[in-house]
Amino acid sequence: MKRLGLIALVLMLAGGMVAFAGGAREADTAVAEDNLERSLEVDISGLRSADGQTLLPELSSKEVPSRPDNPRSLPETDPMHWYDMEYLGWGVEEKINIPDSPADGAIGKRVIAIINGDHPYLTAYSTGMQKIADAYSMDLTVLSPNWDLAEQNQMLDEAINERPDMIILVPLDARVAIQQVRRVNRAGVPIILSNMLPEEEAMQYAIAWTGPDDWGQFREMARVWADELGRSGGVAYIRHAPGGSPYFARTYGPITELAEYAPDIETLDMQAPGFEAEATMQVVSDWLTRFGDRLTGIGLADDSAQAIGTIEALRRAGREDVLVIAAGNSKVGMDMVKDGDLLAITYQSAEADGAVALKTAVDWFNGLDVDPVLYIPKQVITQENVEDFMPAQW
Amino acid sequence: MSEDRGTETLREDPAEVAPNMNEDRTLRQNRFSVLISVLGIYFLAGILMIVGVMVSERFLSAANMLSVVGGVTILGLVAVGAAFVTYSGHFADLSIPTTMAFSGVMAVEALQFGIVAAIITGLLVGLVIGLINGFVIGKFRANPIVWTLAMAFVIRGLMRWIWSNRQIYPEVEGAATGAGQHFVNLYRYHLLGVIPMTVVVLAAFAIVLHFVMKQSSFGRQLQITGASFEAARLSGINVSRNVGLAFLICAMTAAVAGIFLTSLSRVGAYYMGEGYDFAAVTAVVIGGVTLAGGRGSIVGVIGGVLVIGLMRNVMTLMGIDTFAQTIVTGAVFILAVGIQSNSLRRLGRDDA
Repeated sequence: MKRLGLIALVLMLAGGMVAFAGGAREADTAVAEDNLERSLEVDISGLRSADGQTLLPELSSKEVPSRPDNPRSLPETDPMHWYDMEYLGWGVEEKINIPDSPADGAIGKRVIAIINGDHPYLTAYSTGMQKIADAYSMDLTVLSPNWDLAEQNQMLDEAINERPDMIILVPLDARVAIQQVRRVNRAGVPIILSNMLPEEEAMQYAIAWTGPDDWGQFREMARVWADELGRSGGVAYIRHAPGGSPYFARTYGPITELAEYAPDIETLDMQAPGFEAEATMQVVSDWLTRFGDRLTGIGLADDSAQAIGTIEALRRAGREDVLVIAAGNSKVGMDMVKDGDLLAITYQSAEADGAVALKTAVDWFNGLDVDPVLYIPKQVITQENVEDFMPAQW
Repeated sequence: MSEDRGTETLREDPAEVAPNMNEDRTLRQNRFSVLISVLGIYFLAGILMIVGVMVSERFLSAANMLSVVGGVTILGLVAVGAAFVTYSGHFADLSIPTTMAFSGVMAVEALQFGIVAAIITGLLVGLVIGLINGFVIGKFRANPIVWTLAMAFVIRGLMRWIWSNRQIYPEVEGAATGAGQHFVNLYRYHLLGVIPMTVVVLAAFAIVLHFVMKQSSFGRQLQITGASFEAARLSGINVSRNVGLAFLICAMTAAVAGIFLTSLSRVGAYYMGEGYDFAAVTAVVIGGVTLAGGRGSIVGVIGGVLVIGLMRNVMTLMGIDTFAQTIVTGAVFILAVGIQSNSLRRLGRDDA
């Protein structure tokens, strides 16, 4: 009898534990479902960036053609030559070891964002990201290694040890990004890359890459430029810092676009004097001496110091007829568009850039499908619409 | 020709020349080598001019010549001050870029009190940084490279902390008083509608500093201090004061350059002025101011600045890209340092 009683007791205890555990799981599921529901209900359409624009309007899409066999064998004026740069991230066939989305909502999640350095653009970037974090009551920390790769690696290791729900990384170095992303991936922490493009391999280990479509922006602006140039004349380019993706995108984006859209426009020269007004001024003055009236347009990788130097050189030479475009959109650049010094600049919302990275994390937490590459909206700013984008974000 | 004869004399009996040189002869050699270095840089400028004429028919046009000069005025302002640091035997002031940025930012910040207040504030920044650098290096013999590098770090950190990495705009800060536009126009103002005011300011600084270096007792003492610090100290020269003044002059011209650069860029930011330190040292050294100190002149430095401007101009006219230009500029710097060290060694003064 005693033995039977003991067995009954054990069975009851075990049954009770199972029932309790099941109940707890049910309760957990209920909380998760509730969190997911509330996360999905959050409306961010009313959020604005400092320039009065919608913080996150509909993202731009991009048509991705099929990859030629050997892009590098094509001439540099052929857009397909740059295929691996322009469509980076779209060609990843298999993602490796990406954790499954918890699908339990974004609210309350812990996210660590490691950017690449301190710059007014990145300050606005962080502001945009914080706005999304606030909307979803997320716990966001933004860390800046101030352009120091060793420091960024250390921050990444510390972030991994903290085991946040997501890491967002702005790569400092395209190649090193491969190891960085792999490290986070192996630790089982989900990661999203942002703003700067890594090498293709890194994309396998990340949920997504978000940021500006530099190539697309410059293609769009090149057409506006070509129309104003009457689809003829000669143009020259001041380039971005060598090594980064904008160095190619902001020069060969317009060159390849013009080769198709306005083949009569001749590329005269390209130089990279850095982001320094005085040095740019001298290069442009030298061009004016060298090419004279043949030079009718100048394309710039930056709308601040480079634009200032360029416009100053043109003014001194009395060559205000030269049509200048630039990657924007700083306050300096927008003022110059307003004054008619610059023909056009690109709209690259720094706040949207930060916001879209975290919003992609939100979508993933919410169990939604996430594209491998997400671009912030692109627009061309000219004298006609510049007022809509003021005051500048940085 | 004369240059050839000079080196021939030395070549005849290199072993004897150095040890047997009496003081009188050393001085003569110095004057002679200074003359060569000054003439040498203008000789190089002449060659570049000839190449320029061959490359482009528009090279000698007034517009191109003005653009050559106009493109290096800020660099020139920095270089004529930096020359004093090198002349004093203290190599270079690495806090130049941050001094430029800080005086620019502070000037913009002070625009709310008017344009005069802004300029004075900007200059005061240079004065304070120069005094600190001068005091620490002159009085406590801190290593000039390490100290000015540390100074640059501190100032930059301070700027980034105070303004949270943001850039500030003269047209915004000076909107209330209308001084913003005046500030932006500082760089753009042309005397008689033709000559950029920056060129006039540079010329004024160059003339004054030339006399300070060559005619004043401070300049003469600095030369001795630069040539041999210990000898100068033992002979009763106030070396601390002289070295301190050299750094002060350097910081002051950097502040003026910083105000102009900020006016040109229409932005005050912590990153302004980057690269001006190396460019200035290059101009100073190819202009004949030796890194060993005590030799050179402002006339030579202006020549060095012009050569940098001409080199960039001619190379762009030839279609040489910016990276190759950087390599050429670096190579010229290395060559100049090499030639100087070599000629000092021949004079037996490489230990000075």
